[in-house]
Amino acid sequence: MTESLLAVRGLSKHFVSGNETVPVIEKLSFTLGQGQSLALTGRSGSGKSTLLNLLCGLELADTGTIVMHGQVFEAGGTAVLRTAKAWSALRRQHIGVVFQDANLMPAMSLLENVRFRAQLAGRDPANSEDWLTRLDIGELAHRYPDQVSGGQRQRAALAMVFAMEPALILADEPTGSLDRHTSDDVTRVLFDLQARHGCGLILATHDSELAAGCQQHLDLGHLNAI
Amino acid sequence: MKGLPSLFPPTFHTFFLPGALLSHYRRHPLQLLALAAMIVIATILWTGVNHLTSQARASLNQSEQAVAERQQVVRNDGRALAIDDFVALRLAGVCVMPWLEVTPETGSRLVGIDPLAAHCFGAGTGASQALDQPLDGKPFVDVYAAAGVSARESRLYLLTPEATQATDLPGGYSLKTFATSPDTGELGDSFLLNLEALGVLVLLITALLLRAVYLLGLAQRRDSFALLHRFGVSPEQVQRWLVLEILVLALVCVVPGVWLGRWLAAGLGGGFGQALDGLFDIPLYAGQGHGWITPVLVMLEVVVIACLGDLILLRFRGRLSLPVPGRAGLATALLVAGLILAWLGPSLAWVFVAVALVFVGAGWLTPAAVAHLAHWCADRSQTPLARWRYRELAVLARQLTLPLVALQFALAMVLAVQALVTTFEDTFDRWLGQRLEAAYYIEVPAEADGRKATEWLTSQQASVPGLQWHRVIRGQAELTDVGNAGSPQVDVFAVSPVGSLIRVWALLEAADQPWETLASGDGVMINEQLARRQRLEVGDRLQLVLGNQPQVFSVLGVYPDYGRPVGEVLLNAETLPETFNIRFESLSVTPGEPGIAPVTDTLQQIWGVEALAMRNNGTIRELATGVFDQTFALTRAMTLLTLILAASALLMMGWVFFSTRAWYFRLLVVWGMSQREVAGQLQRLALVLTGGIAVLALPLGIWLTWVLVHRINPLAFGWSLPMAVYPTFWLELCILSLAIGLSIAALMRRHLGRPAVAPASASALTGGER
Repeated sequence: MTESLLAVRGLSKHFVSGNETVPVIEKLSFTLGQGQSLALTGRSGSGKSTLLNLLCGLELADTGTIVMHGQVFEAGGTAVLRTAKAWSALRRQHIGVVFQDANLMPAMSLLENVRFRAQLAGRDPANSEDWLTRLDIGELAHRYPDQVSGGQRQRAALAMVFAMEPALILADEPTGSLDRHTSDDVTRVLFDLQARHGCGLILATHDSELAAGCQQHLDLGHLNAI
Repeated sequence: MKGLPSLFPPTFHTFFLPGALLSHYRRHPLQLLALAAMIVIATILWTGVNHLTSQARASLNQSEQAVAERQQVVRNDGRALAIDDFVALRLAGVCVMPWLEVTPETGSRLVGIDPLAAHCFGAGTGASQALDQPLDGKPFVDVYAAAGVSARESRLYLLTPEATQATDLPGGYSLKTFATSPDTGELGDSFLLNLEALGVLVLLITALLLRAVYLLGLAQRRDSFALLHRFGVSPEQVQRWLVLEILVLALVCVVPGVWLGRWLAAGLGGGFGQALDGLFDIPLYAGQGHGWITPVLVMLEVVVIACLGDLILLRFRGRLSLPVPGRAGLATALLVAGLILAWLGPSLAWVFVAVALVFVGAGWLTPAAVAHLAHWCADRSQTPLARWRYRELAVLARQLTLPLVALQFALAMVLAVQALVTTFEDTFDRWLGQRLEAAYYIEVPAEADGRKATEWLTSQQASVPGLQWHRVIRGQAELTDVGNAGSPQVDVFAVSPVGSLIRVWALLEAADQPWETLASGDGVMINEQLARRQRLEVGDRLQLVLGNQPQVFSVLGVYPDYGRPVGEVLLNAETLPETFNIRFESLSVTPGEPGIAPVTDTLQQIWGVEALAMRNNGTIRELATGVFDQTFALTRAMTLLTLILAASALLMMGWVFFSTRAWYFRLLVVWGMSQREVAGQLQRLALVLTGGIAVLALPLGIWLTWVLVHRINPLAFGWSLPMAVYPTFWLELCILSLAIGLSIAALMRRHLGRPAVAPASASALTGGER
């Protein structure tokens, strides 16, 4: 067993809709080792995006504990501000998040976006152009997000994430808006770089083929159904 | 689209197409509300300003007829007129109208006139119309009501038309000019001209704001239009429905807007009317007019052009569109051309064209310049956040172009109007102060000898502490050696002695020891109007024909003279020849410790008259100052309203735009910045933007002030106001602008707390602009 990067114990989250309380995640527990990948699957509304938000501190759990990169986050603690600060620091330096689209600042070129993210994480931005080249979009470095295709934008988003040298990548349907061919292309790059750099990866997807590429698999729809 | 009828039955176009188009507003009711509110507020504001101005203009025209200098009949023996004189004159067939001035025990002066006798001034003329009006308020009342007032002082005048000749009068009577107030008509005209210019600017600003709000809504509906296009609806059909939609909305909003604007004008009009009444000693404000159609049509036109101008120009767009450098070049060319034209423009019309060119150029250049500067700063920033901020600033400057330009114009206008009004106030106060330096103004009666009075006053000079006085003689002279065709007539304002009461006058230009030289009779001073018109400067020599005798004088100084259009020469009365035709003679007296009573008693004895026509200058000054204060307060209120409108529009647009961009600000949180840090960045962004606009509005506002006081006023009236700047007010405007920025940031901070929805694409419809 590799050293644990992330440990989740008894995590629950519910939303309130009118007078009704809707549970989204209930008593979820799992661990993820350094360099391991985990696929989150389940139908729409099963809580994949919510879980990713909980795992990077964008939302706070109702109950349970998250141990991330050696830091322990207990749900329901009173030190909300300190917790938010700790999560911010983790996201800034160690957690890379990739969404389905709109991962780039529209007013900055692809290169400026990658540099920006690297500098925010406190990394040397000098390698930013290299990252774009490694992702086969080096020649588009000075273009703006609206001047490149969806696939090229997602490659730039991956370049941003890898330029910050993350410990964990959280990817929410990263190929959801791409065609099959481009999707395969981006997925191959993602898995390749993740394996080479030894960072953890949690991938929320509907795509069973994409999920099959991960070492672990968590079906939230199934869990909730149970 | 030929096949459309077969594809879609008529019911589709009748019900479903408008339904589909309007569904946007069902989803975003606040946007519809904002657009409607903007139309209503814009209409209120413009109608208010326009209504006030047009009413004031109409009232002023009416009153000019009423207070125009006309003639009165006086007794040759200098005694006060009584009812017997009225009867004698009417029996002799002279048409006279009684004018009874009464100073009650308490309260301000009343004038009693007889409307039945107003026919003397000709049916249908402005004068008769003005005087025929119901006498339902101060200061005009029916002559019988005035006669019944318990009065401290009262005096009857008998006015007669210009057609009356001295030969028409029975023996013992003669004609004399009659003026009801100091001639301040041009100050009122100048004020109204500025108010009208303000109205035009308000219209421009409101059009920009309307366009901004409408285009924002249109951009957000573009997806729906594209979808309808895919369903087979032609763009022309969509455009027709959009025209109908905005016309209906405009009609629904403009009518209550006009009503509210008129209501606002009526509320303010009371004060405004009172201000003008006091200034001109006559009810000037004509009250509510009946013109509903014009403001409704104008505002409908503004709404349609502002919102649908693009559709009208659509077919020319290809030919009109210019590349970005070309646009910047054209804007710069317009700006420079406007600046040069404003400097050199030979007439008022050219100066107005110049102002329009400068505003178009500045409005076109400002957002582009801000965006360019922001990119320049971003390229040179070392920190990633600063670079991001500058890039975002560039986007904001471009996307919020219209509301930003509107705010810039509003700030510039407020700055200019404030400077103008404050300058007006200061100048008027100073000018009034020097013109009314003496405590009392006493008319020398017809047939009386002014010199006897001066001999007595000279004899008193040494023994009465604090006594100051001079004799004023008014008449006309011919200016003969100005090198122009014809010999222009100028007014003569002759004083003697040239003492302390006149030496306080501020001079625009002066030779060495001008007052001493004037006292010695070696030169003259001229008013600004004459200096400008005849291009005369200090040191120039001019030849005046005074009482048929040509005399050459050198110009010793130029003095400001704000109330009158005519050229005037100030000289020592001792230099006037015996043949000089005296039109009017008076004494300005500050009596010193003994008070005015011994002076008037003695003068009555010297002149052998029962009463003197005398004015307390302190009371006049107090009244005039109070009146102008009220008038200027109104102008300030209107400009402030415009500023509030522009600020609200920017606030609304800023909020909507930031909302569409919320996802990208949330990205910063995802990337590890705290919400507090992101809010701080937003705040800096909003403050830089609004602060920058305020800074860019300053030169425009200062330039506009210069144009108003140094170009428009001299071209319109022949005199200029001194150019003054008020840095404290600039600071206040900058603070106000920053407060708008802070408000946008505060709204956005609330927005950041909510989950943001990722945009469907990085297109220009969803906040992905760059």
